[in-house]
Amino acid sequence: MSFKLRPEKIMVYVEATEKSIIAAYYAVCLAKWLNASLIAAYVVDIKTLKNLTKAKIFIELEEMDYEHDLEEDGKRYLNHVKELADNKNIGIEKFLLKGEVFKEVLNTVKENDVDLLIMGELEEPESRRDFYYNETELIFRKSPCPVLVVKEDNSAKTMYDNL
Amino acid sequence: MKISKLLSPELIKIGLNSYSKDAVIRELIEILEQNNLLNNPDEAFSAVMERELKQSTGLEAGVAVPHGKSNAVDELVGALAISNEGIDFDSLDGKPCHLFFLLIAPPHSAGQHVSALSNIAALILNKRFKRRIIEASTPEEAYAIIRQAENEDI
Repeated sequence: MSFKLRPEKIMVYVEATEKSIIAAYYAVCLAKWLNASLIAAYVVDIKTLKNLTKAKIFIELEEMDYEHDLEEDGKRYLNHVKELADNKNIGIEKFLLKGEVFKEVLNTVKENDVDLLIMGELEEPESRRDFYYNETELIFRKSPCPVLVVKEDNSAKTMYDNL
Repeated sequence: MKISKLLSPELIKIGLNSYSKDAVIRELIEILEQNNLLNNPDEAFSAVMERELKQSTGLEAGVAVPHGKSNAVDELVGALAISNEGIDFDSLDGKPCHLFFLLIAPPHSAGQHVSALSNIAALILNKRFKRRIIEASTPEEAYAIIRQAENEDI
């Protein structure tokens, strides 16, 4: 994937966290300034749910119940991000995906020719294990396009409010 | 969510006074109550027992992971109790349980709940971790063992 000086397609990776919303504020601002198109993607972590059933911590009914809950979380967060974009007259495409988180995100980046991925602040890694298994770390390190990590402070929200 | 971030020594109890599943869950709920993490202890107990009625969360090899969703909590909370002797928890392999990880999450906190359960699943696969924590003599020691197991390099 070639590096573009002015990204034309931006994707914001959304989790059910405040960090993702902060990333979304910045993504909307950047899409507006650069006249870029915007995608928001959330992944229902099916792999972990299946692993919990395999480990017998979940029963099958519970796996379905939690899948539904995660899907509802995803819809709620994606709708909120869409509202943020709509408020600033930015078109946005929502992707509610299911599967292994980092693989789904990276596939979406590739399939949609995304040239900038925006995500919320990452957890401080405490061991090499975190580097290898944390999904957001994997997205950050394995993304085929440049990644912009938005720091958790008020500046993205202030920029958005002033847009 | 890492278990070392969810727990603290105050949320770990070494030795249990109970000999039945209901009583163990009550004791775990009491730990949360003593740490002011519950709005409604009875509702929290009912949520966990409701899940137990579907199938015991007493797994294999001495571990139980009772859990549930309830409005009795504002955010995901957890407690750990350790019994060196072991307690009958109607486990899948019929053996006594030594480690009891309790998790209760509010209804709209599925992501964190799943993440914490996944981290418990990873911990209990670690035989060295299990052997060490069952022998812990203080909550501080047990907490240090969890922290070390979650952060050890591979």
